[in-house]
Formats: sequence, C-alpha cells, structure tokens
Amino acid sequence: MNKKIYIMGGAQTDFERNWTKEGKNMIALLKEAVEDGFKDANFTMEEMVALNKDNRVAAFVGNFIAEQYISQGHLGAFLTEVNPAFYGVPSARYEAACASSSVALDAAITKIEAGEYDVCIVVGWEIMKSVDSKKGGDILGRAAYYEKEGKGVDLPFPKLFGRLADATIEKYGLDQERYLNALAKISCINYANAKRNPLAQTRKWFMSYEEATHRGSESNPNVGGLLGVSDCSQVTDGAAVVVLCSEKYAHEKGLKDLAFVKGYGHRTAPLLFDKKIADNANSEYVLPWTRQACLDAYKRAGLTVDDIDVFETHDCFSSSEFAAISAFGIAEPGKECEAVENGVIAFDGAKPINPSGGLIGCGHPVGASGARMFVDLYKQVTGQAGEYQVKGAKNGIMLNIGGSATTNYVFIVGM
Amino acid sequence: MIYPKTVTVVGANGTMGTNVSAIFASFGNATVYMVSRDKEKSKKAAIKAGKSVKADSIQSHLIAADYSMLADCVKASDLVFESAAENLDLKIELHTKIGQSLKKGAVACTGSSGLSITRLAECYPEETRGQFFGVHMFNPPYQLTLCELTASPYSDMAMYGELKEYLTNTLFRTVAESKDLPAFLGNRIGFYVMNEALQYAEKYQDNGGIDYIDSLLGPFTGRTMPPITTADFVGLDVHKAIVDNIYENTNDYVHNKFVLPEYVQRLIDQKKLGRKSGEGLYKLIKNDSGDKRMMVYDIKLGIYRDEIKYTFPFALQMKKHLRDGDYDEAFRVLINNKSQEADICLRFLLRYIVYALYTAELVGYDLRVADDVMATGFTWCPPFAMMEAFSKVCDLGALMKERLHPDILSNVDIDHIIGEQIKSKYDYRIYFKAK
Repeated sequence: MNKKIYIMGGAQTDFERNWTKEGKNMIALLKEAVEDGFKDANFTMEEMVALNKDNRVAAFVGNFIAEQYISQGHLGAFLTEVNPAFYGVPSARYEAACASSSVALDAAITKIEAGEYDVCIVVGWEIMKSVDSKKGGDILGRAAYYEKEGKGVDLPFPKLFGRLADATIEKYGLDQERYLNALAKISCINYANAKRNPLAQTRKWFMSYEEATHRGSESNPNVGGLLGVSDCSQVTDGAAVVVLCSEKYAHEKGLKDLAFVKGYGHRTAPLLFDKKIADNANSEYVLPWTRQACLDAYKRAGLTVDDIDVFETHDCFSSSEFAAISAFGIAEPGKECEAVENGVIAFDGAKPINPSGGLIGCGHPVGASGARMFVDLYKQVTGQAGEYQVKGAKNGIMLNIGGSATTNYVFIVGM
Repeated sequence: MIYPKTVTVVGANGTMGTNVSAIFASFGNATVYMVSRDKEKSKKAAIKAGKSVKADSIQSHLIAADYSMLADCVKASDLVFESAAENLDLKIELHTKIGQSLKKGAVACTGSSGLSITRLAECYPEETRGQFFGVHMFNPPYQLTLCELTASPYSDMAMYGELKEYLTNTLFRTVAESKDLPAFLGNRIGFYVMNEALQYAEKYQDNGGIDYIDSLLGPFTGRTMPPITTADFVGLDVHKAIVDNIYENTNDYVHNKFVLPEYVQRLIDQKKLGRKSGEGLYKLIKNDSGDKRMMVYDIKLGIYRDEIKYTFPFALQMKKHLRDGDYDEAFRVLINNKSQEADICLRFLLRYIVYALYTAELVGYDLRVADDVMATGFTWCPPFAMMEAFSKVCDLGALMKERLHPDILSNVDIDHIIGEQIKSKYDYRIYFKAK
C-alpha cells in the first residue's frame, strides 16, 4: 500500500435481530449502525458536516439486493435519511453479491489512497428476513448466473457449495467421511466461537459434533448434496459500519495507535461453477483465484501467513471455509483436514479462524458481511474483541467472497 | 468442578420437565433419565425434548423412566432436577424420596417458581441437605436463558459456586442469584406488572377492559407480548398460584397489586384457563375456512366479543418514530402526550422500573440482576436499559416524582432507587418494537 489508511473504528448491529418482526425499516437499521459506528470511532455528525464543507468526506454503501428483499434501490442516497449531516456527502452503493461491502471498502480505501477524501464511511447492510426461506433462497440465486444456475432451483446456493464439497473430495482424493467430519467440526467451532460474541446470531443456539454429523435427520436435513443445515450460514438481518481516515487527518486530529489497512487482494473467478472447477485443472488449489487474492494481499502487505494471528473467513458453508484454509496458506492444499483435526483453526489454536463465529455462527447479512469481518479484524488487532479476543493479535486477514467464490476479496489489517 | 454425566429429571413429561431435560442432554451433554408417571409419556416427552433444542441427535442421551424406577435413577445420577407441579405437599413427598437415594456429592434441585427452598431442603437427611438448591428456569428455556439460583441456609456454598459455574458456562444460562423469598426475582416483578394490568382492565372495563389495557402496553412499550396476553399464555391457574403465593407470603408497598381480580377467578372457576384450554382472557376462533378471529373476554358483559383494534394517537406516533429508529422522539411522545392512555402507559413503565429495582435490592444480591431477569426471563426491556432510554430525553427522577402515586413516593426513596447509575448490558432499542 502506498499510503496508510487508518481505521478510526466501527460497529455491527446485533445479528440476532429480526427487523421486520420489530416493525422497523432500513432507515432504523442504518441509523443504529451509523450511530454505533461513529460512537466507536469517536467521530461526530458535526465533524462530518465540517469536513464536508471542503469535500473531505464520503460514504460507501455495500448492499447486495435490497431491490428484491425490500423493493428498494438507489441505496447510496439513503444515508441522507439517517441524518441531515449526510446532505451533500458523496455516497453511492457498491455491489458484488456477498462481497458487496468489500467493494465498498475497496472504493473507500482507494479514494483515501488517491488523496481524494480524508474520511470515508463504509456501511454494509442487508435485510433478509423480510421474505420466507424459499423466496430468500431464490433471491440469493442471483449471486450466481441466475438463468443457468439459479432459476427454478430450490435453494441454489447450498447446492453449489455442495458441489464444491464434491469437487474438493474428488480433486484431493479425500475420504468422504473424514472430509464430512472435518466440515462438521468447522461448524462446531463456529457455533462455539459465536457463544463468546455478544452480537452473534446463534449465540444461544445448540450445536454439537454429534448433531453436525447427524446429517439427513429431521433436525439436520441435507440441503445441498452432502451438506446439511448445520453446514450452512444463517439468514440474517444486519449492518456493519467502518470509519476510515487518511494519514493527514489522523495527524491533524492527533489520533495515535490506530489500526491500518496493510494489504488487499481482489480477483474474479469464472462465474459459472462448472467453468470455475474446470479452471482449477492446472492448479493445486480447488479455488485458485481465491488463493491468488490471498497471495496478492500478502504481497501488498509484505507479510506471510506466519505473520497473521487471526483469520476471518467467508464460511457461507463449511465447504467454503475448508477451501479457505489452504487459500490462506494455513495448510497445504489437500491437507486441510489435518488443520481442522489438530485444532490449528480452533479459537485457542495457532491460526484461529472466525473467532467471531463467522457466517455460520455470527450470521450472514450478505451485504454487511465484508464490513462485519473488517470490524472484527479491527477489534482483534486493537484488543477490543472482549470475550472472543485472540490474545496478542497484531495482524488479521479476512476473506470475503461473492457468489460461488466468484468475487474474492481479501484484506489484511494490523497495527 | 461440577460436570454431571448422568441427570434425572423428575416430572419430565411436563412442558418444563421436557424442555429442561433437553437442556441437560444438549448443552450439558448428559445422559438424562426422564421420569414421569408413565413410561410411555416419558418416551413421547423425549421426542419433544429433541425438537425443543432443534437437535434430534440428543435422543440417544434420553432414557424414558417412570416413578417405580425413581430410586435407581437417583442413585445413578450426579444431578437430580425436580420439575413436578407447583404443589408444596407433592414436592415434599418427592424430595423426601429423592433424599433417600441421593448420592453423596450429587446435586439435587427443584425447578419451583417460588416455593420455599429452605423447606424443601429439610426433606433431605442431614448429610446431603447441603446438596440441595433452587434452580428456576423459564419456559421455553432454549429461548429464555434465565435461571434463578437459590441456596438454603443449609447449602454447601462451595457446591453452590460450582453449580453456578456449570449453569453459566456449560448450560449457557443467565444465572440470577436470588434469596429464598416467594417467587424469587423475575416472577415477583413480572407478575406484579401482569396482575396490575389485569386489575387495570377491571378498573377500565367501560373503556374495553382487557384489550384496552393490552393495546396500550403492546410491543412498542418494550416487550414482545402485551402483559395480559402473557398471562393468558402462562395460564390463569398458574398466574393465580404465583400471585397468591406472593400475596400470602410477602408484604411490600405493592401488596394489594397481587390480589387476583374477581373476574379472573370467575374464568378459572369455569375452567377457562387461557391459551392452553382454548379460552381464557382471549379466545381464538378458527372457522371452517381456516380464518382466525380473536375474541376477548368483556369483563363488563361477561361474554367474549371481537377484539377491538384500538388506535390511540400516542401509540401510533410512537410506533411511527420507532419504525424509523427515532427512539428519542418516541419517548418524547410518551412523556408529553396528555391523553389518558399515554398517562396510563407511562405510569406502568415508571412503576415497573421502580418495583424492579426495589425487588432486586430486596431479593437479589446485586442490582444488575433486575436487568438479567427481565431481559432473559420475560424479554421485556430491562429496567436499567429503560432508564437509559428515558434519561436521554428527560430528568427521570423528576418525571417519577411528578407522575407516580403519592403512595409509592412515600414508600420508596426514588432518588436512592434510581440513584445508582448502572450502565445496562442490554440495548433498549431491541425491545421497543414498532408494533
């Protein structure tokens, strides 16, 4: 990175909440998230108004598909409804399916790096519980090639990530039972981690290894090929806010000891799942472009996996977390099972993945997930993660994917 | 450290017994003997238990049993949990039996919602009397994590500490330590509000009564369900048992608020016990085409009539503000609206805060417990969080002195009761719904 992009703070909403049941609209969601994010960043509406006079502040909104969930577009403009202090602040919506708020983060970081703005506010959000699960599954199908992979298919995404499970087993010649047991353990770790996170959706839920391996039962039915409900992330309402600033601004305000963005990676893989898998023939990795995005981020940061203390990954399904283990470089491709079985990725392991609970445990409001991971890395490296703090974490990496690992975004954050 | 491998739940076919069995078998990873009068009933309860924690895999941990097997089950158990009907004589009989077989070092507990823990401890022989505790969970325990823990004067306090840790860290309960006083903490506060709402329904029967009061204490006032609807769900017989117990065995400044209204007794006499018996304070009618029609008991007329959809201007305005996330504005409406309905609503909330803190001081060991019991046992906005919401828009102490009845002000030192500025760990925004 050419310049330091500092993280002033951020926040997420309580992912257990159902905003439709509460009778509250997207404005209420945004108001709470922005209020909490600003408070954490020690940033005020008055300060924003002052900065905006000189065109030094901008906002970046990540959302996947509010057009379908709540019949609303033009989402960048909605911050003006949150508070009049947003009047005149440049803002727009960014979209890349479940990686939407990572694109918003990327745009914000780039604008600061280019010297265009000094403070950038990133808001990722999604309201998903406004529709039933069948309709919701169909809406999410638009993160794939809808006409070819989504339309008319019941729950297209569990099926796609079930196929990722099949492709992984086949590529590495894995024993199916051992692989599925590793996936069950991944789910259990995420659920257990979520119990330490006071904002996690599943913090009160029960999950055990016995239940997670009890696939095909009434309480844990198969939903996509080999995968059961226990392998899936949640349908979640929520928002996450990040406040970033330039070196100049930090200097002006005398802000010290801020975490900063050390590197990023962004790669787009073939959209269609079949092409994606065919594309890996010459790679050791089942998702080569996901791996490449990690390598790019490490290179930009001048770091290796050895320097990373905490990982947040996109476990939309346990099969995607499994693939992330080697993409991060925690294990050699094909040797991910060992990293799971030996406790390497557990909360108290050498390379803890998803201390927050991840998408399976913390929840997955799709347009918010990238920003939520980013907030979690910020909390970890600044020692503010409370009960789910990874001791002494100095550097963290996150992987946020859109579609069936089509858009791949990686950020490294550290002190 | 306590980590019971084998647990016996007595009265396992009751709703609470079934659900508690599931908590021990799931989070506790224990083998659970489910004891009820009939083994077949225990078997059915075991299936329900799996459903209650959404995990059929726990079935293999559940063993159906009946009372003829009680002694053997207890002998084999590291923890025994009694969840029988709320009847002191019955519980004395059961605990005397349990006491005859309880292992040295095993834990025995009652899920009683308010009977004397000390009296029940005395059912045990001297050598195991210290192993007995009150462990009151709320229904459904998978959703409501509250667990009131009560020791008796005989209790082994080292074991009490270990039990608290087990309930907190293994069963993921929100443990509220309570003194051995009738109804403990949560029910004393919650049923005060519910019974006062029932009394108000009688007082305002010309305005509509039950649905009138429920309409002005709905989800927009910091709860999922209005208080009279809650009483209907709990069951009027259970409601009566709880408020009668408090009325007979306590004497604080709200003593007469625990008197059961005559019309509720009338409904109980007619076996109209609430949701579980198809009719009570409300009555849901489904016609042949599947349409649902909510009826309500009209106190004045003594018959069921259609529920009235009240539209109070203050409530509409509050909901509109809450929908947009403007909490401060919603509270300003509540405080400034001069209608009778807004006044009744506001006073209910203020009285709730005062009584919750008063009770926490009396029955608990830490004021914060008032928040835990109301948030995790009732899903009501807990008192300290509600104080925070009010304090953003007004001087709460002054508001209380202006609006509360002189009888309360002469009995409770408001400055003392709300004087301790405790930051709530609960977020009030979650509880005030736009409904």
